Amino acid sequence: MSPSTPAVLVEAVTKSFGPVPALCGVSFAAEPGEVLGVLGPNGAGKTTTVNILSTLLRPDSGRAVVAGHDVVTDPAGVRRAVMLTGQYAALDDMLTGFENLVLFARLLGLRRRAARARARELLAEFDLEDAADRRVGKYSGGMRRRIDIACGLVVPPRVVFLDEPTTGLDPRSRQRVWDLIAGFKAQGVTTLLTTQYLEEADLLADRIVVIDRGTVVAEGTPAQLKQRVGATFCEVVPVRAADVPAVAHVLRRFAPAAVVEVAADRVTIPAPHGAGTLAQVATAVAAHGVAVSDIALRRPSLDEVFLALTAARPRFEVVA
Amino acid sequence: MTTTTAAPSPLYQWWVLSARTLIPAVRGGELVTALVAPLVFTVGFYVPLQRVIALFTGGAVDYGQFLMPLIALQAVAFTAISAAFLAATDAVHGIDRRFATMPIAAAVPLAARLSASTVKCALSLAAAIGCGYVIGFRFAGATAAVGFCVLALTIGTVLTLGADVLGTVFRSPEATTQALMLPQLVLGMLSCGFVPIDQFPAWIQPFVRNQPVSQFASSLRGLADGTGAALTPTLLWLGGILLVVVPLATRTNRRQR
Repeated sequence: MSPSTPAVLVEAVTKSFGPVPALCGVSFAAEPGEVLGVLGPNGAGKTTTVNILSTLLRPDSGRAVVAGHDVVTDPAGVRRAVMLTGQYAALDDMLTGFENLVLFARLLGLRRRAARARARELLAEFDLEDAADRRVGKYSGGMRRRIDIACGLVVPPRVVFLDEPTTGLDPRSRQRVWDLIAGFKAQGVTTLLTTQYLEEADLLADRIVVIDRGTVVAEGTPAQLKQRVGATFCEVVPVRAADVPAVAHVLRRFAPAAVVEVAADRVTIPAPHGAGTLAQVATAVAAHGVAVSDIALRRPSLDEVFLALTAARPRFEVVA
Repeated sequence: MTTTTAAPSPLYQWWVLSARTLIPAVRGGELVTALVAPLVFTVGFYVPLQRVIALFTGGAVDYGQFLMPLIALQAVAFTAISAAFLAATDAVHGIDRRFATMPIAAAVPLAARLSASTVKCALSLAAAIGCGYVIGFRFAGATAAVGFCVLALTIGTVLTLGADVLGTVFRSPEATTQALMLPQLVLGMLSCGFVPIDQFPAWIQPFVRNQPVSQFASSLRGLADGTGAALTPTLLWLGGILLVVVPLATRTNRRQR
């Protein structure tokens, strides 16, 4: 695979379940070594996309290529190059963590001795040595997710599909899974991360594809997406709410009256020059003698981006 | 770090997956259950009924010899039910899904579940024969013993395949197991493996005579006695079950729908 070939290529893929369209022409690409976040509300088509890319489903039309193998004409090639971990940890509850790792290692062709050595290596790497000899059925949610991911790494994959890997985890466990994903990036493994948590995509993804109702509605780096939805704002919160009109009066110097947003305790204006605007505003407000408790630049959160992108169009009904 | 990109051997994978099912069965005591179940059947049926049958048949029926095939059938049916439990567990825990994304041939996990279940079946059958010998059951000879065991294991394997498919489709270990207990009980009780056919009321005799468990029990009894059994109905029943189950197994174990 030459460096210019995408690790994951999706071209105009469609898939329907009976009369229900799940994907209506999805296209995107992930470069080798990239973490690509796939965002979307429930039912947007994220899991269907991952299922097609991991050869669980066959696309109705379009083309999907993973690590150079077409999912329809060469699914066996895809299966040798990928690993999938989902919101449901797919492990044998009756076996211990160590035995699960050995099982997956041997299924991928490692002989017993090599499989055991690799299992010990991964247990150390994933900080699960203490739980190695306990049955996976007795693991906590976070430990299960970690051993599940470890089982997918017994033979280093070229492309990893993480389908909502932190759904249902407590913050500490989530952080540990995030560390693992950051590790993939460091190792140059291409990662497709589907998630509903924007914070997660913002933190981990190099680029984000937003899917809604079976199509890609936006694509770009987290920063680009934020820019697309709205510019930066400057927000001033006076100490006394009674000073709000005075602050609004000052800020009209920097922005047309129509875009000055006056709330009960704060005033917000667009800040096209970012920090420059902030400095000017701070000076002007101070010169006017108003005590300020907070003055800050505010960028739209990815949540706002997400809501703006996915709520723009009316929900469609199922077309029979 | 070992890197493998070649497809691993399906035979090796089958072996690894078969062991994966058998090891927890040994550790979790499931295998003990498979060995004890025939003993429970034997005690539960033979002790209370032996005298009754002797009384009603005027001593014409040696109940140990008569009952043993049904105990063997209960033993293999019991193994089949636990196979349904395992198949449903793999389906609902996403293990089937995960295997389907790995370089594992679609038939390998099913083949591994079947072979592991056949091993349990054989052990349970051995226990049943042991119990039979205690209550006076005897094979007519070595050929009789081999024929009996081959047929009993074949029945066990066909039932296991059916149970496996049901488990995979319904994806509920508990519900599948309970649903299968009922036919096992009803067909076992209302069969001429349990009580001679003429001890049943006339109205139910046609059902009792022709239902599969009766046919299986008669065939096994004939093989054990060396009296030559009517094998045709048994083979037709098994063929019929396979005719339904094999396409279903192919469908449920196929991927990329």
